[in-house]
Amino acid sequence: MIFKIFKKELKETLRDKRTLIMMLVIPILIFPLILNVVVGVSSSFEESAENKTLKIGILGEPDDYLAIKLNEIPNALGPKTLTPYHGDSLKMKADLREEKLDIIFIYDSKFSEKLDKMEPTKLICSFDKTNIGYEQRAQKYVQYIEAEERLKRYQTLNIDEQQITPFEIAFENSASNQKMIGELVGGFLPYIFIAFGFMGCMYPAIDLFTGEKERGTIETLLTTPVSRWKFLIGKMLVIILSGLMASFFALLGLFLSINFMDIIPDPEIMNVVNQILSIGFVLKLFLLLLPLTVFFAGIMIPIAVYTKTFKEAQSIIAPLNIIVLLPAMAGLFPGIELNVQTALIPILNIVLTTKGLIGGTIDYSLLILSFSVMVVLAGIAVAVSFKQFGKETNILS
Amino acid sequence: MIKVEHLTKQFSLNKEQKKEAGTTDKFAFAVNDISFDCKPGEIFSLLGPNGAGKTTTLRMLSTVITPSSGSIIMGGINAVTHPDEARRKIGFLTGSTGLYARLNANELIDYFASLYGVSNQLLTERKKYLFDLLDMNEFAHKRIGKLSTGMKQKVSICRTMIHDPEIVIFDEPTSGLDVITAESIIQLIRDCKAQNKTVIFSSHIMGEVDLLCDSLAIIHKGEMKYQGSMQDFREKMSEKSITAEFIKTVQA
Repeated sequence: MIFKIFKKELKETLRDKRTLIMMLVIPILIFPLILNVVVGVSSSFEESAENKTLKIGILGEPDDYLAIKLNEIPNALGPKTLTPYHGDSLKMKADLREEKLDIIFIYDSKFSEKLDKMEPTKLICSFDKTNIGYEQRAQKYVQYIEAEERLKRYQTLNIDEQQITPFEIAFENSASNQKMIGELVGGFLPYIFIAFGFMGCMYPAIDLFTGEKERGTIETLLTTPVSRWKFLIGKMLVIILSGLMASFFALLGLFLSINFMDIIPDPEIMNVVNQILSIGFVLKLFLLLLPLTVFFAGIMIPIAVYTKTFKEAQSIIAPLNIIVLLPAMAGLFPGIELNVQTALIPILNIVLTTKGLIGGTIDYSLLILSFSVMVVLAGIAVAVSFKQFGKETNILS
Repeated sequence: MIKVEHLTKQFSLNKEQKKEAGTTDKFAFAVNDISFDCKPGEIFSLLGPNGAGKTTTLRMLSTVITPSSGSIIMGGINAVTHPDEARRKIGFLTGSTGLYARLNANELIDYFASLYGVSNQLLTERKKYLFDLLDMNEFAHKRIGKLSTGMKQKVSICRTMIHDPEIVIFDEPTSGLDVITAESIIQLIRDCKAQNKTVIFSSHIMGEVDLLCDSLAIIHKGEMKYQGSMQDFREKMSEKSITAEFIKTVQA
């Protein structure tokens, strides 16, 4: 009987446009959209920053040492134009503030003299740091000139550069690519799956409980010789399936984005990402999401049973989304790791466990603890739903 | 056969409700100690003004809510202690009955038949009989949301009768319906009587009651004010019209 109820409720739910949009359309489009926008915008910014002709102001004359050296820098390091300010630093700074200039160089009048004497001399490079790429461009120019000057000094002093270089330092990353990916995006991905799991549950929960009251169908349903708990379970299964499907379609959207949008140019990283998104990972992820989604359904049903109209139910459940997602957000912060304490915090434990699964650093005893906590909470939520659905005052308006 | 004895339903009052009712009582009686019988092949009418307790009584009969005390025997089954068994014998229709708009008529009837445990063979027979009778074949595969009010009412009737119940409960079945649609309900009630079913219906439209019922009970503020046959009611009338007599009885 539960299956018959489930089948009918599912059929009705799949014919509801709102539910379909929340369960299928938005989840499957969210990753392609986000990644398309992020990758597109950032690459176009980088490209335009690299190709932009920077307007550089120099304090002195066009035949100053720095002006000559800047002019000698090849265009491959970024195109530029120079404007000498003949010592008028106030005007040059004003022009920088008014964005007539992009970078300015300030140096004292004895700049080239000090260089000739091989004394250190001060060079101030000023720019608006909020402009993407200016700092990198300024560093490239200065490093180019400094390297040339340094080499000249070694030659003058007859020094072998090798002899005054005590270390050839190399910083190597001991973390695997998988661990790096887990650390960088491991918190964000479960957050998205949880958010969609919640939203995927919301409309069916309201439709299948409050909707029955609002449309006046609940009374006839309860006059049939079927126990109330069977209706509750049949309807709840549809809500849970809808939540899981929303998470699944978000994952599918991510998979399609990665494989067809060419957002990961490095084949090695691509290989690792595809290894992470294996069937085993998906199964483990959904095993974790299952009690969480039951828990979501369990907290939504009593509200949906209690409220009398769709609007009223929505006005209570929608803000609940923020409360539920707060612990999920905590999982995004660096330094918060899965341990016995965090494994006891619902939702956060699922985020951290998923993060561990993505990064390949999961402690399976903590995974079992997190899963058990969510199973217990899901059980409590189902019991509360059952109690509320059994109350005469709640089911009849 | 329906046998109701000392049926009582009380609800607890919250602060707001106490204030509205101007009482300090913790409980209010929606139905207070009412008893009546409805026999097969007879139409029994439950009358009363708005808030009299008609819907609460019918909801207890249909086992949607549980009585605070008293007994209800439906077709030989104690509906208070064995509600699931009693429900198999009941068909329930109200004027405000909603239908699942995203299903079509055929799917809805199949669903309710499965809830009542109707066998496939019986379902095919009953569906053919009812669809022909109610002229539903043309719109059987149309989504209910796209049907007219009259068509929806036919689907409701079909849903109520699909499991061939021996007891049919109508709670203000013609409320809010146009005369043509209301007429289909009146016809259904007559058909039920002809088929020797036990029929109970609530109404505050005296014309309907006069037209249909064999016996009646008048309740007001949850208490029984009159019970007897329609024939007796007519004979003992001291007012000019049934409506006037009804008002007099309620106000007595």
